[in-house]
Amino acid sequence: MIPLEAYITLSAFLFVIGGFGFLIRRNVIVTLLSIEVMLNAVNLAFVAFNRAHAADANAVGAHTGQVFAFFGIAAAAAETAVGLAIVLSMFRLKRSVRTDEADLLKN
Amino acid sequence: MLGQLFPVDDFKLIALILGMPLLGAAVNGIWGQRLGKEAVRLMALTALAVSFLGALVSFFMLVHAVDLTGHEEVVEGVKSVVHEHTKLSWTAWDWMHTSGGDGATSVSIPVKFSIDALSGVMMLVVTGVGFLIHLYSSAYMADDKAYWRFFAYLNLFIFSMLVLILGDNLPLLFVGWEGVGLCSYLLIGFWYDKMPNAAAGKKAFLANRVGDFGLICGMFLLAHYCGALDWTGLSNGAEGLLKTGDLNQIHLWPIGGGEFRDFHVGPLPIPMHIFQPSTAFTITGATAVGLALLLGCTGKSAQLPLYIWLPDAMAGPTPVSALIHAATMVTAGIYLICRLSFIFVLSPFVMTTIACVGAATAIFAATIALVQNDIKKVLAYSTVSQLGYMVLGVGVGAFSAGFFHVLTHAFFKACLFLGAGSVIHAMHARVHDDVASQDMRNMGGLRKYMPLTYWTFFVSTLAIAGCPPLSGFFSKDEILYRAYVNQVVNPMGEPLVARLHMWTPPTALGPILYTVGLITAVLTAFYMFRLTFVTFWGDFRGWTIGRPSLLAQAELTGHGHDDEHGHSEHESDSHDTKSAHAGHDDHGGHGHDDDGELIEVHDDHGHHEDLTTPGYPPHESPWPMTVPLIILGTFAALAGFLNAGILHFAPIDHWLEPVFAGSAEHAVHLRANAERLEWPLAACGVLAFLIGSGIAYWVYVLQAGKPAKAMADGAPGLHDLLQDKWRVDELYEATIYAGTDALADTAVWLDRSVIDTLLATVTSTVVKVSGVVLRLLQTGVVHIYAGAMVVGLAGLAIFFVVPHPELAAKDTGGGNYVVEAAPGMGYSYLWDADGNGTWDAQAMSAVDHQPLHLNAGETKTVRLMVKNAFGFTKTVALPVTRPESTKSLEIGQNP
Amino acid sequence: MSTVANLYFYLCGFIAVCGAMIAVTAANPVRGAMGLLTMILSVAGLFLALHAQFLAAIQLIVYAGAIVVLFLFVIMLLGPSARAPRDQRGSVSRGFFSGLFVLVALVTMYLSARAAVHADPLPMADNDFGGIDAFAKSLFGEALIPFELSSALLMVAVIGAVAVARGEASKVETPAAKRLREARASFETGAAPSTGEAAE
Repeated sequence: MIPLEAYITLSAFLFVIGGFGFLIRRNVIVTLLSIEVMLNAVNLAFVAFNRAHAADANAVGAHTGQVFAFFGIAAAAAETAVGLAIVLSMFRLKRSVRTDEADLLKN
Repeated sequence: MLGQLFPVDDFKLIALILGMPLLGAAVNGIWGQRLGKEAVRLMALTALAVSFLGALVSFFMLVHAVDLTGHEEVVEGVKSVVHEHTKLSWTAWDWMHTSGGDGATSVSIPVKFSIDALSGVMMLVVTGVGFLIHLYSSAYMADDKAYWRFFAYLNLFIFSMLVLILGDNLPLLFVGWEGVGLCSYLLIGFWYDKMPNAAAGKKAFLANRVGDFGLICGMFLLAHYCGALDWTGLSNGAEGLLKTGDLNQIHLWPIGGGEFRDFHVGPLPIPMHIFQPSTAFTITGATAVGLALLLGCTGKSAQLPLYIWLPDAMAGPTPVSALIHAATMVTAGIYLICRLSFIFVLSPFVMTTIACVGAATAIFAATIALVQNDIKKVLAYSTVSQLGYMVLGVGVGAFSAGFFHVLTHAFFKACLFLGAGSVIHAMHARVHDDVASQDMRNMGGLRKYMPLTYWTFFVSTLAIAGCPPLSGFFSKDEILYRAYVNQVVNPMGEPLVARLHMWTPPTALGPILYTVGLITAVLTAFYMFRLTFVTFWGDFRGWTIGRPSLLAQAELTGHGHDDEHGHSEHESDSHDTKSAHAGHDDHGGHGHDDDGELIEVHDDHGHHEDLTTPGYPPHESPWPMTVPLIILGTFAALAGFLNAGILHFAPIDHWLEPVFAGSAEHAVHLRANAERLEWPLAACGVLAFLIGSGIAYWVYVLQAGKPAKAMADGAPGLHDLLQDKWRVDELYEATIYAGTDALADTAVWLDRSVIDTLLATVTSTVVKVSGVVLRLLQTGVVHIYAGAMVVGLAGLAIFFVVPHPELAAKDTGGGNYVVEAAPGMGYSYLWDADGNGTWDAQAMSAVDHQPLHLNAGETKTVRLMVKNAFGFTKTVALPVTRPESTKSLEIGQNP
Repeated sequence: MSTVANLYFYLCGFIAVCGAMIAVTAANPVRGAMGLLTMILSVAGLFLALHAQFLAAIQLIVYAGAIVVLFLFVIMLLGPSARAPRDQRGSVSRGFFSGLFVLVALVTMYLSARAAVHADPLPMADNDFGGIDAFAKSLFGEALIPFELSSALLMVAVIGAVAVARGEASKVETPAAKRLREARASFETGAAPSTGEAAE
């Protein structure tokens, strides 16, 4: 059987990959993709931890981890919609999708 | 049937009485401008009418409820029917619950309204007179552009006044108290674009604030001493005000108690003991509360020294003067004293102060009223003087007599003010000038033009002057009689008085107060008849107003109001000016238009029209103005028989008896032979009326004012002093205003030099410098920000990887301690609680606290090992010491 | 049985890591989106292994069906500009920070793994666990209020996205607005409406 720790390690790997991409890439779209990767990693961790309490499906709070993952998916959808809208308007403004061009907040 | 619908302890009809004026105020205030005058009038008058009808129904239900409690009692062989104190009450909702620091005193304050004998009568007066004055205003203010605003304020005033009267506890009364103060302010400054009006409003507001301060202090003291703020609770807890002991009596000197002791500055001794009195100067809680509440009353009821706002308040529209500043609001102070009579009587000192303040105010204001020329100013000072009578009445323990004067005064003074308003209305139509239209010297002979106004005014003058058998005679006579025969004593009995060193008023006080009151009665009769004669008798002197050339000419010939001259001119005027009269109405000028237009119109008259065309005569007012006059005049004439004390027919006295039971009876001793003095003293009152009115008739009718002029010329200093109202305003200006100004100047200087210069500069420099530094960090490059996040993440990771053991010892008393370890994610603990250097257990556990016992002076070192989720461990030690203490020993306990 | 389960986990995990790598490193964003899709599918597979059947379905529908498609739409809308030009600006700081991140992550992962060497197998799961019935009981039971609030979140996101993305679009004149503006202008100058308008 696969132990819980294996899932957590996989989740951590995915998270680090996502974070690495988020930090190193300058393309806004890829940045958003990296964020999706990280969110998926977190969801995976939630579901994996929840699996450790799967003995009774009808206990109160039996699905807390999955419910959290569900809300994580909802939040990811909202985040993507707003993020891509921002990408579009930034492209309209700057004719570019590079993060280092997005310096309107400076001073 | 009504009794079932509205049970005594859940009398929801009060909601209607209170709600209608509030509804009217809301509707008129919010939508009034769009509704138009007709709708505004309908709303305001309907609201008041319904409220009045509700009040009438409630009053009769109250009468019925009181009758049910009647039972016969035999006192000194005389059978009489005695009634219980009954009230109809309604609790709207719970407002607040307060409790003292240790939960010692808990005061609950519901929003509860109640109607009892006292507030029932007051409620009828407020809604009844209020309705009449609303009716009057609907015509008086007809041409004002802010018609809706006026009625919104007026309705709001009625609501606030009803809250004041019907409130069942002091805080609720205070809400109404402030509400009427606000409405008074708004209505005095109703024509706020004129500077004097706005200033008068401000003055009223500020003077009232001083009084409100006293009322609030009194309220807090009452909550402290009596543990309740509702009327029933206060009356039950009133004995608390006379408690003795350091915490209950208020030490005036040395302040707050204590003792002055000598001390040394180096070798120099400072002899402080000379300040120490032989016995500490203390007052009881009752005296402190009484004085604080009295301050509140002097503010609202315009007594010395806070009366100054009331004469200026006449800047508002005349119906406002009649309703607020004569009939209802200013009597709130007397109402409060009556309501809390059982508290005031606990301190004879306070009662005597009240009586003296009342008497002094009465005569003081009467002297000023002698020489004023503005018709409303005379009435204003007359109001102050009459309020002085009422306060004198309640101050000598004659609460029902004082309250009865409130009632009669409401009728005749409202009638007088409305009559004056009618006169001003007529005059204003002629002269278009606010000041000139109120000056008595411009009037005269109005009897012919406005008979209804004249007759009602005359009846009210007779009433206020004390002509038997009109209302003023009975109420004033009762007060003066009581002032003479009543002696205020402490109701709590001799032993307590002796123990508290309580002050007893001298017996000579009664005759002195009586004499002052009698002189005031003479003065009242004089100035009121002066007012009537100068305004309504003789011939009209207003033809020359607004025509400077003719005015100058008249003054050259010696008499501005020369009979023949004025007469002939008037004859020609009245025939030739039909067209001018008709034209005048088109001006719409007799209302109060906005300032610019008014001046324009006035100029027009002054320079073109009036020089060529003669004026038109004053005219009688329309029916909405005269009907209230007639009704009020009738009441002014007949209301006296409600309480004709001298005829031993006193329904009001009997009606109010349950309210004042326990205060008036016990606190007042009648002078010897009181019964026999009744008629002689009444005769003196009638004599005062005859003398005052006779002198006025001689001076102003027979001699046409010459003696007055001669006296003014003979003693110009005194005359000017009276004309300038004893220069009290100037005195306040020189002392209080100047002091406040100096304080403000100091504060401004401090603000500019210290705060603006020093602190602001330092602060701004710090902010500026840190801004310069921090701006470098803001590159605007997103991945640098993300990098900063990573650094934070790294810090967080380090924090979680390293365990953080922390220990804290808690003293649970008696040498027992609990040592607690700070919690953390995934932490497990290993203890060495006894301090012997070895771990207590073999393995880590989740136990995060350990008990510990120490003897006095002992020290133990507790050690703890913490292991976190990553398997790292860390150890911490905490020495715990029990102090060597003797303080914990109880007295009488063996060490 | 056990080996099949192990194989399944390692396969899915490998594909997920590969997909994530592609998503993160691909120069062409379309390829990146495909990598993300791969990762999402394999994570859905892992959800199945973890007794989260309902969530796996949701993962497919929302992620693969909506989010990835949305990404593709935007990438196609941007066209060739979606590909950022390759230059080396800021590569030092980016390299430093990402290196720091990976270092910290790896150290932490090592420490965690060291603390948890005894890996217990997961307990047997209830058959109903993760199914629609049991999951719905949780979602509409103790998590009802957050669930309702999440609808508000999505609503706000929709409005926000529309508001942000519209941007300049409001300046584009609709035909009706254009006619209205021209009619106003002609009224003010006093000239008759243009013949073209009249013909319409």
